[in-house]
Amino acid sequence: MVSDDSKPDDLTAAIQSVAPVDTRLQVVVRLQNKAARALHYVADVRAMRYDPTTRTLTLALSDEGREVIPGLAGKLPLFRHVDPGSEAEIHLSVPDRIVKLSRSAGSAGSAGSAGSAGSAGSAEPDELAFETQQLSDVREVVVEVAWADVPYYHDTRASALQDARLPAARWEQHKARATKRQDKKRTPKS
Amino acid sequence: MATFILQDATGIGSDDLDPARGFIDMAIIANDTGLGMADPAAGKQRLVYARTGNGPPRLRLDAMINTAFSPNYGSGANNVDTIVVAGLKSLVLDDGTPMADNGTALPPKSSGLPGASLNPTEQCLVIYDTQLAICVARDGSGGVLDLPVSPPVALYHEFSHAFRIVNNTLLALTVACDPSSPEERAAIIDENDLRTDLASRAGTSPTLRDPGIHCGRLASDGEECCCIIATLVSRSPRSQQVQKLRCARDHFVRGTEVGHAFFEHFFRDYYAFSPQACTLMAGDQSLRHQLLEGFVEPLLDFWNMMVERGRCVMGSTQLGAAFIALHADRGHAEQRRAALQRTSAYWESGAGQSAEAPAQLMALLRERAWPSPYMQWALVAPVRLMHALLTRYLAGADAPAIGRAFTEALDAWAPEVPISTLWAGLPAAQVRRELGFCERALLQTTKSKTRFRQRLGERFPDITAVAGVLGRLQTIHKGDTW
Repeated sequence: MVSDDSKPDDLTAAIQSVAPVDTRLQVVVRLQNKAARALHYVADVRAMRYDPTTRTLTLALSDEGREVIPGLAGKLPLFRHVDPGSEAEIHLSVPDRIVKLSRSAGSAGSAGSAGSAGSAGSAEPDELAFETQQLSDVREVVVEVAWADVPYYHDTRASALQDARLPAARWEQHKARATKRQDKKRTPKS
Repeated sequence: MATFILQDATGIGSDDLDPARGFIDMAIIANDTGLGMADPAAGKQRLVYARTGNGPPRLRLDAMINTAFSPNYGSGANNVDTIVVAGLKSLVLDDGTPMADNGTALPPKSSGLPGASLNPTEQCLVIYDTQLAICVARDGSGGVLDLPVSPPVALYHEFSHAFRIVNNTLLALTVACDPSSPEERAAIIDENDLRTDLASRAGTSPTLRDPGIHCGRLASDGEECCCIIATLVSRSPRSQQVQKLRCARDHFVRGTEVGHAFFEHFFRDYYAFSPQACTLMAGDQSLRHQLLEGFVEPLLDFWNMMVERGRCVMGSTQLGAAFIALHADRGHAEQRRAALQRTSAYWESGAGQSAEAPAQLMALLRERAWPSPYMQWALVAPVRLMHALLTRYLAGADAPAIGRAFTEALDAWAPEVPISTLWAGLPAAQVRRELGFCERALLQTTKSKTRFRQRLGERFPDITAVAGVLGRLQTIHKGDTW
C-alpha cells in the first residue's frame, strides 16, 4: 500500500456533458487538482453498472470490486496525471446499452425490470438468458475516478500475490465522484 | 453432450451474437473437415467432430466436443456442458467488467471456482469478443506487449480454461499479470500450441506469447503494436515494410502526448475494421498484392518522406527531388500508378461498379474506415496525394514542379490533422511544447501553422491553457515557431 498524504478532496470531478453519438454515450468529465502536487488518475472505464430501478449509470474508472477471473489477458488501466492547481478533461465513450447475463432465467414473472428492454421471462430454469438495458433514457450518470498522489507502479513483492484486489485497486488512494442528472428525456437515436 | 455455440437467447436480439464467426474460429482451430454442427435446438448448436488429424489443437477440440464431463465440485458429480458465446460486444459481467476486447471462461455457478459468482448457470460459459484487438507479451522480448491476439487464438485460450474447469482441475489464479498465475500460464502454453500449428500451416516460424506474462493492453493504447493489414499483405510482422511503418509511427508522431493521443484514436478506429478486413483478405493473394503496391508501399513512401521532412525543413525542390528518387525506375513507377489507379477506383466507385473489389471488404471500409477522420487523414489522403504526384511526374513534370505541387498539397493536408481532446487537459507549458513539436515536425510553413492554430482555437475556445498560448503567439509573430 502506498503512503497516503493526500486529502480526499484534492481531486474533484464534474461531469460536463453526457451526449448520445451514434450507438454510444459520450461523457466528458472535468477534473480539478487543488493539491500542490501532481495527482495521478485512471482515465478509462473499468466497470459499468446500471440500476434500472433508479435509471442510474455508474462508470467506474477504478478496479475496486472487480473479481479475478480466468481470462485472455490482464489489462491495466490507462493512467494519466493532472498538474498541481490545474484542470484536465477525460472524454469517455461507452455503448448506449448494456447486455447482462440474466440471474432470473425461468423464474415466474421475471419480465425484466424498468429500463430493461429485453427480459428473461420466458427462459427455462438454468437456460442461458440475458437482460438488455438501454441507457438512452438514463436519469443519472455517476462517474467514479480512482486516483493517488503517486504514479502506479508494479508491485513486485511476494505478498502482493496474496492480495485479492486487482493491482490498480491496491494502488488507488481515493475516488473523485461526480454526478449529473439528465433532466430532459433525450430523443431516441434514429 | 459437451460443447455448443449459442445461436440465440432470451433477452437479446438476433444481431447481437456472432455464432457464424464463432464456428469459423472453431474451424480455424481444427483445420479439419471432420468438424461440423448439429441442427440448432433451444437456441444452441452442438459441435460435432470426427477427428481426422492429430496435433494438440485437434486433440483438445476432440476431448472438449466428444466427452460428457461430470465434474464433482463438492456436491456430487453433475453434467457440465460448455457454451460458446461469440461476439456479444455489449456484454457486461455482474461486477461491471465489460467484455469488449476481452475473453473469459466462467465456471458453473455452484462450482465455487473463480468467476463462478458471475455465472448464473450450471454450464461453463466461454465468452469472447470476435472483433477484439489486444496485444500481449511476445516471447523473448522481455515483456513487450506487441503480439496481436487473433479471435481463434483468443477462443482457444478460453477453451484451455474451460477444459480445466469441466475437468475440475483449474489451477491457481492470482491478481498480478506479471508473473502469470499458474492457470494463465497453462492457458498461454496451450495458446502457443495453436500459434505453432497456425504457423506450421502457413509455412512460417511461429511467434509465441510469453507464458510468464499474462499482461495485455488494447491495441488502441499505443506502444509497440501490430499493424495487421501491413503484416498480412507483406506476410510477416517483422518484414521490412512493417518495420518501416512502425519506424515512421514511432519516430514521427508518438514521441509526444499529442502524438500519443493521436494514435489512441487512430488505433481505436483502425482496429474497428482491420481484423475483419484481414479475415476477408486472407484467402485472396491478388488482393493482397494489389494492396501492397497500390496502398501500403505508397503510404510508407509518403510517411518516410514526412519523417525526413520533420527532421529537417525541406524546400519544395528538395521534396520534388526526393519524390523522383523514389520512382527512378520508370517501369515500376508505371506499374505503381496503375495499382494506385485501381485503388482509387475501388474507393471512388459505388457498390457494384468495381467488379474486381470484393464487395464485403469495400462495404466494411465504407462503413467503418472511411467515416473516421483519422483514417482519412493518415491513410487515405496521403495515398491520394502520392497518386496525384505520380501522375504528374509520369506526364513529364520535373523536380521543381513536383516540389511545388507537393508543398501545396501538404499545406492543405497537414493542418487538417484531427485534433485530440487531450489538448483540453494539458497545462499551458505543455500546450506550448506540443504545439511547438507539431509546428516543427509537421506543419512547417506559415500557411499551415496559421491554419492549425485557427482550428485549435476554434476547437477549445474556453480552455484557458490553449487560449492563453494562442493569444501569446498572436502578440509575437504570426507563424513564429516555438
